[in-house]
Amino acid sequence: MTSMTPTVSASGLSLHYGRTRALDDVSLRLSPGVTGLLGPNGAGKTTLLRVLATAVPADRGAFTVLGHDPASARGRQEVRRRLGYLPQTPGFHPDFTAFEFVDYVAILKELADRRERHREVRRVLEEVDLGDARGRRIKKLSGGMRQRVALAAALVGDPGFLVLDEPTVGLDPEQRMRFRELIAGAGEGRTVLLSTHQTEDVAMLCHRVIVMAAGAVRFDGTPAELTARAAGRVWSSTEKDPGAKAGWRTGTGSFRNVGDPPPGAEPAEPTLEDGYLLVLDGADTEVAA
Amino acid sequence: MSAVLVAEPAPVQAPLRDRGARAVLALARFEARRLLLSIPVLIAFAAYVAWIVWRTRTSWDGSPALQDADRATQSMPMLVGLAVLLYANYAVVRSERHGTEPHFSMLVLRPWRRTAAHALSVVPAALLTAVCVAGQFTWEAFKPGAIGHGSPAELAVGPLTVLVFGELGVLLGRLARRWAFAAPLLVVVLLFAFVLGASPGDTNGRSWLAPVVSEIGPDTLPSDLLGRPAAWHALYLSGVALCIAVLAVVVAGGRSAAVRSGLALGLAAAVTGGVLQAQGATPSPELTAARERASVRPELTCTEHGRSKYCAFPEWGPRTDAWAGVVDHVQSLAGGPAHDRPLVVRQRIDARYGPAADSAIPALTDAHQVTVGTAWGGNRVPEFSSAVAAVLVAGTEAAGSEICDGRMVTVMWLSLSWQDDPMAALRRVRLDDSVKGSAIVLSPTDPLSMTEGQTDVVRHLLEKPPAGVGTRVKEHWAELTAPGVTTARVAELLGVAKPGKADSCEE
Amino acid sequence: MAPGVTAQLVGPLWRTLPWRALAAAGTLGLLVAAGPLATGAEPAPWQTLLVLRGVALIGALGLVFLLDDPARHLTAPVPAPRPVRQALRVALVAPMAVLWWTAVLLLSHSASRPPAGAVSLEAAAVGVLALAVAALAVRLTDEASPGPFVAAALLLIAVLAPLLAPEGWALFVQADDPRWPAGHDRWALLLAVAAVVGALCGPEPLGRGARRLSRAGAPG
Repeated sequence: MTSMTPTVSASGLSLHYGRTRALDDVSLRLSPGVTGLLGPNGAGKTTLLRVLATAVPADRGAFTVLGHDPASARGRQEVRRRLGYLPQTPGFHPDFTAFEFVDYVAILKELADRRERHREVRRVLEEVDLGDARGRRIKKLSGGMRQRVALAAALVGDPGFLVLDEPTVGLDPEQRMRFRELIAGAGEGRTVLLSTHQTEDVAMLCHRVIVMAAGAVRFDGTPAELTARAAGRVWSSTEKDPGAKAGWRTGTGSFRNVGDPPPGAEPAEPTLEDGYLLVLDGADTEVAA
Repeated sequence: MSAVLVAEPAPVQAPLRDRGARAVLALARFEARRLLLSIPVLIAFAAYVAWIVWRTRTSWDGSPALQDADRATQSMPMLVGLAVLLYANYAVVRSERHGTEPHFSMLVLRPWRRTAAHALSVVPAALLTAVCVAGQFTWEAFKPGAIGHGSPAELAVGPLTVLVFGELGVLLGRLARRWAFAAPLLVVVLLFAFVLGASPGDTNGRSWLAPVVSEIGPDTLPSDLLGRPAAWHALYLSGVALCIAVLAVVVAGGRSAAVRSGLALGLAAAVTGGVLQAQGATPSPELTAARERASVRPELTCTEHGRSKYCAFPEWGPRTDAWAGVVDHVQSLAGGPAHDRPLVVRQRIDARYGPAADSAIPALTDAHQVTVGTAWGGNRVPEFSSAVAAVLVAGTEAAGSEICDGRMVTVMWLSLSWQDDPMAALRRVRLDDSVKGSAIVLSPTDPLSMTEGQTDVVRHLLEKPPAGVGTRVKEHWAELTAPGVTTARVAELLGVAKPGKADSCEE
Repeated sequence: MAPGVTAQLVGPLWRTLPWRALAAAGTLGLLVAAGPLATGAEPAPWQTLLVLRGVALIGALGLVFLLDDPARHLTAPVPAPRPVRQALRVALVAPMAVLWWTAVLLLSHSASRPPAGAVSLEAAAVGVLALAVAALAVRLTDEASPGPFVAAALLLIAVLAPLLAPEGWALFVQADDPRWPAGHDRWALLLAVAAVVGALCGPEPLGRGARRLSRAGAPG
């Protein structure tokens, strides 16, 4: 997968807020398809997304999006023309209808021709399954529908690079499943960077996953590689193992432990989340190529 | 740096250079639609249109002078402007209020262009106001009694006021983006400063800095004597609107050449207009001389209708027919030599104190000359009719205003009996709107006065069929118009009951 | 509600008052009121009355933001009932409003000032009306900060009332008008009605079932 041509490439991105290092020498290359961005709160995920979305400039380092360098004002405009962004807490104008809101964003994306723009807005609203609700005011929509309006606003204008900051927060499992479908569809033919806390999302959607902690990239590889980090480091036991980094009683009554297993432990099937926890634990800081 | 090897998706494309400008227009259109459909603006326009209809149906008694009608369109658009200010401001701060600003400010269209779109979104509201103003003025102009000339610059003031107020809302929104209370406070200040008019009454150079300077007096002046720097004022308002709009764009970060030249142009227009209107507000020596001339020895255009001559300011030419109609009616009722006497009707004004002044015109002392003012319709008709009758009976206007004896009955009967509803006309021509007791009777110059007894006799006469009374009037004309005839004698001659109270000059 | 909580609430509520709106309205009102004094103008009585009415409206526009509560959806389920919180807000602002209005009266042109009591009644009525409309907006909508809409509504009332109110009500007459006292009886009535409406809007609406439950669960 990494052999594919990168559409977004960044090197040495750093950003400080006072003494806090929000980004610390982040380098990455993104290619078409959905890339997951995992990390605990405060790891710098949102900051990275905001830098890549040209909302804040980095202190150091450079990046290009689809061949355009946002370091110049002109280049930044070119990047923004190719960018779809779903912020972590998207605001809404409650008196606008879903159509009006997406139309408004489309205008701000300089889709000037009215008929073409309206066709495009209808298309993205159909795409996020809001075709029938487009005339309803946003204040009358449920949380999941609002989130889809925000996704439609990100998708409008068919951007080549889509930045989604925790789009599935607060959605019920069914809505989340529906959202996964939408994101997977959006990832066909364009580059999607998806920040999330949901390891299942990453496991099901992403061809690649990046794990961040304390402003730095801790892992960059495929989901299978991340899962493989936990191979042989997950085991079951009847009592909580004091040597485990994490352990909890599962529904079946036995304990599931993650960490360095004692000799003779009964191994269990690792998941992506196990790999993620182990990466975060710092036992494993090397970055997979 | 890595090369681009992935084909770029082709979104809706236009040539890149003008995409920004076209997006500004698209956003302006979007915001304009919301503005025009917003509740305060809808209410304001509904109230405005209702006011136009309610007012224009009866304004100027159907005989407007268009040089006054143009100014009358100016004040109400201020209320529309305040509503536009309120919503335009709300639209600018909307994204701050709902937390979309961090997202929107990083989209392609830059914030200063968004502000430019907000500034443009006010324009359709101003255009709609212009349509309303045009409708109101056209309605006046198509009234059969309309005379004179309107001024496009005066008509432009209403729409320009809406524009200025709307741009103020946009600027305020940029300056105080988190202060939702700023716009209502500004509205109150503007409301009390300009609309309800806490400003001093007399106009000078400084008062022309206000958007609307109405200066509506009771008497119409010929349009070349108005002395209002209307064109400079319109230029001033346009400059102010442009300045405020561009300033809002500058506050939002716009620094392009177009923005800078717009600011320069706006400033130049506002300053030029402001200075020249201030100079124009004090009458020039030529204007003062022309006003003096028009007040003392006016150059009137005279036309003849029948036996009589009608001299009017050129703009009032079409109205001489209406005057002639009144004179003919009154004269047809008169007897003796008065029946065929040629009269001269002269239009007179006192323009020396400007258009807002209320100045009285002294009665003429020349024989058989009648004064007519610049207004017409409604009460002006019986007032003029009374003046004609008084001249026919007493010989001159000055003598007519001094009548205290029984001749007053004849004057009033001549004046009123030919009218559609003589009793209503009697009520309207009297200052206190009464049909009983003594009262002042208005006329274009010095008023006449009726005693209680004369009023009673006139009322009885008006209740009788006019034909019978008319025959008696012609029969006894000489005695009825003789100075000193008592009201009691007049009542006897005309066949109605004698009055209870004596004439004023008999006391 | 536990006793003493009201006293505890004063501090936090004090901090959540819309200080910027109140300060802006207050300052602007004082500036407008002091205008004739500062410029040395000799306003006519009708002009002073107009200025005072304008200042009262400006003050009322500051008050419409008083009941805005950005944390409304958070505070809705707390045991301290909304009327108590709203009343506390009003009580915190009322002394300042009175001081402010006194200052406005003192700053206005003394020779042409209309009777202070009557004008103060008008100002109080307008202020209470503003609060009543704000309370109504809080009650009828789910909006956390209805202030701007309430301000627009109050402005609309202020513009339309002089145009549409029956002439016979004599609400907007001059001080030398014989109907001045009668007009102010109506202002007092307006004040009372607005106060009642505002107070009635205070409690959060209860469904029928909820009311029965609360009665059943109320401590004896």
